[in-house]
Amino acid sequence: MISLEPETLARIDRMEPVEFRVIGVGGAGANVLDRAVLDGFAKERLAVVNTDVQSLSASVALDKLQIGREVTRGLGAGGDPDLGEEAAIESEAELSKAVEGVPLVFVVAGLGGGTGSGAAPLIARKAREAGALTVALVTLPFSFEGRRRADQAEAALERLEACCHSVVCFENDRMGETVSARAGVHEAFAATDRLISEAIRAIAGIVGRPGLIRIGLDELLAALRHRGARCLFGFGESGGDNRVHDAFAEALRSPLLDRGRMLADASAVVVSLSGGPDLRLAEIEGAMGEFGRHINDRTQLLLGLGVDPAQAGRVSVAILSSVGAPVAAPVAAPERAPAPAPVAAAPSPPRRKRPPAIAREPLAPPPAPSPEPEPEEPVLPEAIGAEAGSDESPAPAPLAAALSLDPAPLAPVPPAPRVPPPAKSSEKAAPARQEEMQFEPISRGRFEKSEPTLEGGQDLDVPTFLRRNFRIR
Amino acid sequence: MGKEQILVGLEVGTAKVCVVVAEARDDLLKILAVGEIPSSGVRKGEIVDFDNAKECVREALSIAEDRGDVQIENVFLGVTGGHVQSFNYRGRADIPQDRDEIEEQDLEDVEANAREVSLPPSNTILHTVTQHYYVDGQEGVVNPVGMSGHRLEADFHVIHGVATRIQNPIRCVKELNLEVEDVVLSGLASALVVLDHSDKKMGALVIDMGAGTTDYIVYNDGVVKQSGVLAVGGDHVTNDIAMGLRIPSQRAGRLKEEEGNALLGNSLPGETIVLRDEPGFAGREIERETLNTIIHLRLRETFEFLKRRLEKEPFLHYAGAGVFLTGGCSLLPGIGSLAEEVFGMPVTLTHAQNVSGITSAFQNPRYSAAIGLVKYGQAVAGDRGGPSFIETITRLFRGRAGRNA
Repeated sequence: MISLEPETLARIDRMEPVEFRVIGVGGAGANVLDRAVLDGFAKERLAVVNTDVQSLSASVALDKLQIGREVTRGLGAGGDPDLGEEAAIESEAELSKAVEGVPLVFVVAGLGGGTGSGAAPLIARKAREAGALTVALVTLPFSFEGRRRADQAEAALERLEACCHSVVCFENDRMGETVSARAGVHEAFAATDRLISEAIRAIAGIVGRPGLIRIGLDELLAALRHRGARCLFGFGESGGDNRVHDAFAEALRSPLLDRGRMLADASAVVVSLSGGPDLRLAEIEGAMGEFGRHINDRTQLLLGLGVDPAQAGRVSVAILSSVGAPVAAPVAAPERAPAPAPVAAAPSPPRRKRPPAIAREPLAPPPAPSPEPEPEEPVLPEAIGAEAGSDESPAPAPLAAALSLDPAPLAPVPPAPRVPPPAKSSEKAAPARQEEMQFEPISRGRFEKSEPTLEGGQDLDVPTFLRRNFRIR
Repeated sequence: MGKEQILVGLEVGTAKVCVVVAEARDDLLKILAVGEIPSSGVRKGEIVDFDNAKECVREALSIAEDRGDVQIENVFLGVTGGHVQSFNYRGRADIPQDRDEIEEQDLEDVEANAREVSLPPSNTILHTVTQHYYVDGQEGVVNPVGMSGHRLEADFHVIHGVATRIQNPIRCVKELNLEVEDVVLSGLASALVVLDHSDKKMGALVIDMGAGTTDYIVYNDGVVKQSGVLAVGGDHVTNDIAMGLRIPSQRAGRLKEEEGNALLGNSLPGETIVLRDEPGFAGREIERETLNTIIHLRLRETFEFLKRRLEKEPFLHYAGAGVFLTGGCSLLPGIGSLAEEVFGMPVTLTHAQNVSGITSAFQNPRYSAAIGLVKYGQAVAGDRGGPSFIETITRLFRGRAGRNA
């Protein structure tokens, strides 16, 4: 439960709102920017970059940059990232100019195709070189778009991760969850675009807004940054009597948070609350108390609080986090073969094949999030009372494992951690996690009509033996 | 020689709806009748099916009225549920300059001040339990009335919950044309009858583990310091058994009661239990150790979560008298030892103390909360023509001065 000291609230931060720019790369990137304009982003902050002139001219952004005039002749990169990259190299100078002079740069792109995948990493690198805090927000292709696009997307993702301070991914596959089943395709895409534009606003807000409670930049980045990680984002907004609670509820409904379940795995969660001058402490405490049930006791919770006169009567909440195998986490894998256990992070998860093309000189890889706040495997919601360090016996007998509640992290597995997109080499000790069986189909039995008992990120109505992976013969 | 009063407690529980009719005379409490009926429409301590629950209450009242040969008109109503929360808070009242002595009214002002504390908008206060008084900064004041001073403060333990969820059982009672004399947190009620004043003074943790919820109260130095409700109870154990062994819920419940044990390693290797054929259920054989493991895992986890919650404050550390475990679940063999293991403190399996009347009622831990309700009633009702309201409540929750509060 967060307790806010009155003294803390009395301290008002005088920092200026931070300058930032959003670069939309490729067709998808341009769409997001168009959406952002609708949502009130100042046009001066936006710039679209594309090889395809038609797409450029249709965009509402003020700043339009055509790249690769010679290479693609205004026709688009044809779904080929190499072409996209060449185009970017050709226009390197102009790209550099586009990203300099601002402390914070967002690079937005849809990965899998040509321009987005090819040019975005280079643009991000330029921004980084210019000294900006660089955050990429990207969409990943639908599974039905095929293997090739998926591979291209992953390659691009990897390169982006190498040069951005943080990468937030939105999986198109989950788009269906943002809208009702009967919504048109247009609506679905629009919803995703909106989500991305909200994420930008939220991150920019966290970084720069004069806040009553500020989240340190390094904390924010550490929270968002995990190698090979899924970034989680949820946004909610509300007015009315129970507004903070409602805003939180809406944010938790975000498909990217899997209705809040994914938060249980996160090592750090950033909550950014913003409201008008009428925002009351009691509202915040109440809602934060409830929110606390969705996260593990060991999860680091970073709360940013800002007051904006323009928001009188309303409250908005943004929840940001990431889950995934952290870099070099030394965890002894409990050897329960069938049980989905996050195994010690191998140096690279299966999908991170280094594309041969990277001959380019490095950006020194960003500092690994060094000592995570908690020494043990952060994504593993450990058993109650489990201490750090899991070098305990991988007990062979399932019962012994189920019982070793004390150092060995006996993963009380929450029902829905998702598998990273198509596990290619899905053999054996894959560092990526296996898909968990969803518990929805099983009836809640006696607890059908009551609200779930959530504690420490777990649903206690689910039988303990199931959550502890105790097998019954 | 005080006059006797008839007090009635009503607990709308998850496994049973229970009405206790008792006679209070001075400090003595005598159970006259108990009306009980299996509950339906209540889950995790809260009403989920209003009509069903209401019928059960009607029935239980009727039984109690018959047995006790009384007409019940008002009740002390027990409430619980996972939404209940609590915190400690200091209230304050300044005595005007022209007056020197602290009066009764000032105590009420302090309490009113505490009740103004900010709660989540959906919540309402259930109890403000007085802990300590301070007069002009002086600690350890028992009863400030009559003392000189200008600044009166008091520490309170504030218990609150979601208003609408507390309203449900109240509405249920009112629709049966009864008055709700007061609404009481079930766990608090249990603590009142299960601890004597020396336990409260030494410090104690009371755990009332029922079918729907596990209610807990921590006393330190005679006052309530921490309390709460974890919405996990015997039903979860039953549900775990039903799902684990794939047997119907009712059968699982019986199995738990007849054969269950919270400890492991108590059965011979390969020892089995034979479940006989019944209509709708083909007979089966299950391993005893499997059954016990399912139970053990659930109970242990529940205690550990409880411990985690408690350890957010320092009070458990000072519970010198140890843990007092009551409620229906406390009847499960081995649960006491399991609790000892988790808490690392001596555990006493207990029931309502210092009451007379129907032995089978008060000696059964399942009735601790319901009996506690009448105990609470005894203290509250005592203000009519007895010691002051504040004094009585204070004494009741602090268990001081050699009385059986």
